[in-house]
Amino acid sequence: MNKLLSTVAILIALSATAHAAHPGGTIYAGVNGLVCDFCARALEKTFGKEEAVEFINVDLDEKIITIHLNEGQSLDNKTVLQLITDAGYDVRDIRYGE
Amino acid sequence: MRLLLLAIVGFGLMQTSFVIARPVSYPGGWTLMTMNDGDKNSVHVHYSPTAKTSIGYKFEYWPDKELNLHALQINKLLKRWNKTESQANFYIKSGVGVAYSDLGLFDNESGASAFTGIAVDWEDRRRFISYENRFTDIDGIDDFFQQSARVGWAPYQGDYGDLHTWLMLQIEHMPEATDEHTVTPLVRFFKDVHLLEFGVNNHNKVLFNYIFRY
Repeated sequence: MNKLLSTVAILIALSATAHAAHPGGTIYAGVNGLVCDFCARALEKTFGKEEAVEFINVDLDEKIITIHLNEGQSLDNKTVLQLITDAGYDVRDIRYGE
Repeated sequence: MRLLLLAIVGFGLMQTSFVIARPVSYPGGWTLMTMNDGDKNSVHVHYSPTAKTSIGYKFEYWPDKELNLHALQINKLLKRWNKTESQANFYIKSGVGVAYSDLGLFDNESGASAFTGIAVDWEDRRRFISYENRFTDIDGIDDFFQQSARVGWAPYQGDYGDLHTWLMLQIEHMPEATDEHTVTPLVRFFKDVHLLEFGVNNHNKVLFNYIFRY
């Protein structure tokens, strides 16, 4: 069991490192609690303060935010998770695109 | 047009209501609210240092009580349930300040005031339900309890940035009031940073609420 947990932890760590190494891309985050425009605006304002973020799109139907990064900038999993949590919402999943 | 806008804002500042969702904003967010109905008119400006706390100034005017209240109000989000399709919240809202009244024998008499209450709400993109209460004590002048509940339904589901419309029913209970129970059908319009509510209650009093969040 411990071996399995260690393997998962290492895979997550490697995954986060790889994501941080692909700057200027797009991040997709599934967000729980995203039910209205006030919620969407809260996330837009929160990510808008980040130097790495160019802009975000909010899809209320799918409960997904798309974070567009500035050229040469990156955001790791931990930061994305922290920003969404600080805004008052829960992260369902995080995926990285080109 | 400018005159019309001034008239709308002025009307808003002259009156008040009780139930409203989201008493805490996002970190760094400011909110201006004016709530108006047959019982009172209020203005509340608050700042949210975190997504769990807001602090602000509250003014209320109760015409029937000839009562003015100024308070420092703190709202605390005690618990939020974020689900894939819905969100629920549990808040405590409290304030301390000063109030004065001209009613009857009170000749502009003032006293320390304090109030506290809870608020709960649940909503998804088409349905809304909330309840809140408050006990207010004004030293040597008055004390009273009020509670209120709302149900709401959105006739269509808009995207982010669209005009959102809600049809709502609000029921208020204030044991000491002449009109102990008040029922108010109302419509809520919500777009960008603006939220506007308009309704008429069963005593033919107008409800007008406006919220600006930035």
